Amino acid sequence: MSPEDMLGATLAAATQTIVPEEASTRSTDDDRRLAAQCANGDTAVFERIYRTHGERMKSIAYNHLGNVSDAEDAVQETFLKIHRAASTYSGEASFSTWMYRILINTCYDILRKRQRRPEDQEDEGSFERTAPAVDDNKRIALRKLLNALPEQRRSVFTLFEIEGLSHAEIGNILGITEGNSKWILFSTKKQLQEQWKKR
Amino acid sequence: MTHIDELLANGDDASMQAAAIHAANCGECADLLADWNDLSTTARDLHATWNSDTLWPRIERKLRSERRTPSFRWMQIAAAVVIMIGLGVMAAFALREQKEQRDFDKHIYVDNALNDVEKAERAHVAAIDRLEKLTDAKLEQPTTPLMVSYKEKLVVLDDAIAECQTNIERNRRNAHLRRQLLAIYDAKRQTLQDVLREETHVSNP
Repeated sequence: MSPEDMLGATLAAATQTIVPEEASTRSTDDDRRLAAQCANGDTAVFERIYRTHGERMKSIAYNHLGNVSDAEDAVQETFLKIHRAASTYSGEASFSTWMYRILINTCYDILRKRQRRPEDQEDEGSFERTAPAVDDNKRIALRKLLNALPEQRRSVFTLFEIEGLSHAEIGNILGITEGNSKWILFSTKKQLQEQWKKR
Repeated sequence: MTHIDELLANGDDASMQAAAIHAANCGECADLLADWNDLSTTARDLHATWNSDTLWPRIERKLRSERRTPSFRWMQIAAAVVIMIGLGVMAAFALREQKEQRDFDKHIYVDNALNDVEKAERAHVAAIDRLEKLTDAKLEQPTTPLMVSYKEKLVVLDDAIAECQTNIERNRRNAHLRRQLLAIYDAKRQTLQDVLREETHVSNP
């Protein structure tokens, strides 16, 4: 790889963070209104949330649970939990951050319930990919490495590297500081890198 | 921690740019950075997308059925209210029972005391009646103005006793009336004793 290519790849990796539109532009009042509508069980509002965040929610759940069925169950359970808890939404974090926090906790609950690693139920390969950037072997290898990670490390890596959230958002979702999120990502990548070389 | 590690840990644009420049002149760091970037590129491809036409209808159905059933919180509030009402009713019932028991006991004590008082009164009246019998002959045909006066006093006292007893029958527990009755009886007893003393005094000049 030439130095120019190296620089290009590094910058691409560093700048791939995508701040979710909802989290960055919604005001607290809007979020509170949204929460109130969710508390009232307004299905049109839930549908709007699903259309906006559903894809990412499914992906986050899949990357924690390792199979489509459990991922869909987690997303469904998250929506029910949002409905039940929306009246307690305080507005301290953005509504989307609060929602992703519920999703991650739901995934942890499912993982603890089944008490086994998600690789047992992998169903890699059933996804729609418009233009795969890497070969399947690499993808499968990385997913196996991810599945062996402790919950928090897996969450930080998934949210930053796979879903493109910022460290500030990850900190809010997981209840850790932004610096802590950065450090966890770095040490996780160092760990993965060691195993990545050996494959 | 190596220089490149510090840059990778920092992770911002400037640090990554500096890492790339450094790696361009360092073979070891170039490999490290290549793996680092390879991980990120592979990770991006792990974003999972699949078609799930049934998921939203399933969520919507669940949400609608959840709306129809009362929320758990409301059920908790309702249960708490029912328990509070139940406890309140039980407490009121227990208090009422206690009060009734106290009232019953009180009635028993009062009735017993009244019976004792009335028994004593009856004995007292019987004794005065016996005393009165002794004075009957003298008072029947009073021979002195003093005896006439005693007879009139006794008639007034008997009227007062009768009136007082009528009032006591209406309110057995009126202690004031009973004390008044006792005072009238005392006055009658004193008068009868005076009659007897006068009789003795007259018969033994």
